[in-house]
Amino acid sequence: MHNEVKITVMQTLESNKKTTQQSPASISLNLPDFTTDSYKDAYSRINAIVIEGEQEAHDNYISIATLIPNELEELTKLARMEMKHKKGFTACGRNLGVEADMEFAKKFFSKLHGNFQIALKKGNLTTCLLIQAILIEAFAISAYNVYIRVADPFAKKITEGVVKDEYLHLNYGQEWLKENLSTCKEELMEANKVNLPLIKKMLDEVADDASVLAMDREELMEEFMIAYQDTLMEIGLDNREIARMAMAAIV
Amino acid sequence: MFGLIGHSTSFEDAKRKASLLGFDHIADGDLDVWCTAPPQLVENVEVKSATGISIEGSYIDSCFVPEMLSRFKTARRKVLNAMELAQKKGINITALGGFTSIIFENFNLLQHKQIRNTSLEWERFTTGNTHTAWVICKQLEINAPRIGIDLKKATVAVIGATGDIGSAVCRWLINKTGISELLMVARQQEPLALLQKELDGGTITSLDEALPQADIVVWVASMPKTIEIDTDNLKKPCLMIDGGYPKNLDEKFQGENIHVLKGGIVEFFHDIGWNMMELAEMQNPQREMFACFAEAMILEFEKCHTNFSWGRNNISLEKMEFIGAASLKHGFSAIGLDKQSKVLTV
Repeated sequence: MHNEVKITVMQTLESNKKTTQQSPASISLNLPDFTTDSYKDAYSRINAIVIEGEQEAHDNYISIATLIPNELEELTKLARMEMKHKKGFTACGRNLGVEADMEFAKKFFSKLHGNFQIALKKGNLTTCLLIQAILIEAFAISAYNVYIRVADPFAKKITEGVVKDEYLHLNYGQEWLKENLSTCKEELMEANKVNLPLIKKMLDEVADDASVLAMDREELMEEFMIAYQDTLMEIGLDNREIARMAMAAIV
Repeated sequence: MFGLIGHSTSFEDAKRKASLLGFDHIADGDLDVWCTAPPQLVENVEVKSATGISIEGSYIDSCFVPEMLSRFKTARRKVLNAMELAQKKGINITALGGFTSIIFENFNLLQHKQIRNTSLEWERFTTGNTHTAWVICKQLEINAPRIGIDLKKATVAVIGATGDIGSAVCRWLINKTGISELLMVARQQEPLALLQKELDGGTITSLDEALPQADIVVWVASMPKTIEIDTDNLKKPCLMIDGGYPKNLDEKFQGENIHVLKGGIVEFFHDIGWNMMELAEMQNPQREMFACFAEAMILEFEKCHTNFSWGRNNISLEKMEFIGAASLKHGFSAIGLDKQSKVLTV
């Protein structure tokens, strides 16, 4: 602090360069101990959720392709990418010597999974896209963004790669909904009212395990709201409409 | 484009404003909901300078409220997320208003350059402190004589002298005003001694000793709530310039011949047609604003896209003169003790 009291004329960008060149070690703060039993226990559920989430995403994109057959190629590509992510996250668990609790994860997604299947049967593409391309993707991105900051080095690298891909999926769902907003807005709002509260519940359900991994519930929720709001904004909804949709998260 | 990152003055206030804006999901939420709320771009405006140039800008509410100050991580996220939003919107120069720059500085957020898939570009942001310091100095120079204080004979105390704004004010007072004596008060003694050495002037003293001697007191430190001040011991007349945030000095200093002036507030020469300063509780919200916000506008008018005010103790006299001249040119003036009389154009 004291050596900063030197005065230099018109010091702006130059002074920053010096300050930003701090050691990168100071950036990763308070990493948890990845070897404890409690960490591994919590990881067995979180890791399973992530693996199951990627599997669901794969299956959902394949299913969505049955509703828009001319997008088959694009959606198959996406689905394949999700499988690659699944493999990556499976490796993360293996790396820590943790067996993923897949039974827990299946139950964790069951309600959302059920709602997707109903929409699919009815041919409600908007609802399917809301669940997969907005809610699940925003949930995943928010979790990964928070996880990257506290992950072990192996998982950090894998997750960083995944996040890059995930931003692509969000764009895909956005594009379709944006183009069709005039005809799908009502269904989007309705589907959101039903499914956004499920995301909130899922976040609450996983909060304790996440905190063992040094992932803060508040931060997870905030990251989710940012990703969710960004997508809705891109689709073309205005502030008030987004506010009305987000309302479903707090009731 | 210029940007302003601001926040409400309290949680209650924030909820009321969110309700007015139609943000019902957070208006009805408790503090925990606000802690998870994303920053909001609430208004776009077009502003026309006295020179005729037009610029566009946005106001971003970070959804921070002072009640979050004790939650270090939350406060940090609010600031960084708002900055990320400003950058994603392509804003060239954004001022960090209210507690935003204080949090950035005190929590050393420079080390958090990467926010999700955005790498923050510091040159897009300014604390606005150079303009704030200049405005405070002008307010002092103009208003002291109006209440019968002769600057040449005046003793000026700067409370918070080692801060970014405080040290700039000291530098200006010593070099540009010819005041009789400068008293410097701050919590940390070592930087104070360094400042004294740099200025080759000024007397280091304590708050208790400074107040009874001072004709003019510039407050640029947040005042502890518990502080008790005996107004009988103050000089009369006495000019108090409240340059800290939040502005609460008038609660402490009431009495005859004690003049409290809101420091670091400017007035634009015509109505701007925005709603945001109403939210910042300005007296004349269509024209008044924090000088730090005005700095972003001035830099945009001047096409000076750089982090003009940044870091600590980088505010030179030359920079203050530059921003001051540009401020006047584009139609800003510092608010005075009696702004109705309109004699205070600086």
